[in-house]
Amino acid sequence: MIPLPRKSSNRVLYILMKYLFQLALIFTVCLVGDSISPLLPFTFPPSVISMIIMLFLLLSGALKEHQIKESADFMLSNMAFFFLPLVVGILRYATLVQSLWWQLLVINLVSLFACFVASSWTVVLVKAIQNRVGRNKNV
Amino acid sequence: MSEVFSSPLFGLALSIFAFESGVWINKKAKNPIANPLVIAMIIVISVLLLFNIPLESYEKGSSIINMFLLPVTSVLALSIYRQRKILMQAFFPIVLGTFAGAVAALTSILVMCRLMGLDQQVIGSLLSKSVTTPIAIAITQQFGGVPALTVASTLISGVGGNLLAPFLAKMFGIKDPVAHGVGIGACSHALGTSKALQIGELEGAMSSISLSFSAIWTVLLAPLFF
Repeated sequence: MIPLPRKSSNRVLYILMKYLFQLALIFTVCLVGDSISPLLPFTFPPSVISMIIMLFLLLSGALKEHQIKESADFMLSNMAFFFLPLVVGILRYATLVQSLWWQLLVINLVSLFACFVASSWTVVLVKAIQNRVGRNKNV
Repeated sequence: MSEVFSSPLFGLALSIFAFESGVWINKKAKNPIANPLVIAMIIVISVLLLFNIPLESYEKGSSIINMFLLPVTSVLALSIYRQRKILMQAFFPIVLGTFAGAVAALTSILVMCRLMGLDQQVIGSLLSKSVTTPIAIAITQQFGGVPALTVASTLISGVGGNLLAPFLAKMFGIKDPVAHGVGIGACSHALGTSKALQIGELEGAMSSISLSFSAIWTVLLAPLFF
């Protein structure tokens, strides 16, 4: 990589270009994910495919963390911003949401409890089984 | 005046200012209910209604932000990658725990929607609600659901998980930090994870890995429930 220039105005440009290049890398991975999605025999969101490709590239070392770090961290820490337009779209369904608000609340809270109990107790159970198997091996 | 509002720059500028205000208010309020996204939504909707600006004008600019949804989700891979060591230590408990959580969430949502007599479009919008917003929306769009309903529901789950996380563990007798973290991540995604990080480092790491895994499980399992 080219060393960081000394003059501060050049430095800003250099950093800007670096971020743009990182964005371009991320976009390319997404473009691949987006074009694979319709080819699959089952429905799978392109965003999740892109995430899996990205994880595979990182784990295999083909893509290094520093090659996407700053841009990716920017997106991760400001994630909620990118959902704003979708949330504002609620305006289009205002009457639907108004007519459903208590059902939404009940469904969400009950399934929150169900999901928490199921997942946390499964972890406790799996860990207990693993401990027992591990102890048997040692004996 | 309407020409100003129909420029794509209007939607972009309004979104950025509204979100920045949301972040600022959130920092001042220090309360999970003061969610920056909710505050920004209220600001944007109020501006649109107050000045009688059609949603279509706003969406000319906001569609540029929508374009980033795919890359934003894909970089979640970086946060999983950073936690690969912890992931390897507790691989089976995480994978099986999030699987059980996804099945429990999907089943309970489907059963309750049916009991309340809600239609297929609403079910399609709610099934994905316990996973992180970008993936939840992708699932909803595949089912032809209403993304706005999904966002509202993921927010209720997230804020609910954030507020109830310490209480849930006590109520259901969970003492193990790994189990607690996985439980929070599986049911209330990133918003719950921010609380898990406050409870403890291990809980936080477990929660953020679990939110990715429960998202993948939900993507795979949700079509079976629709």
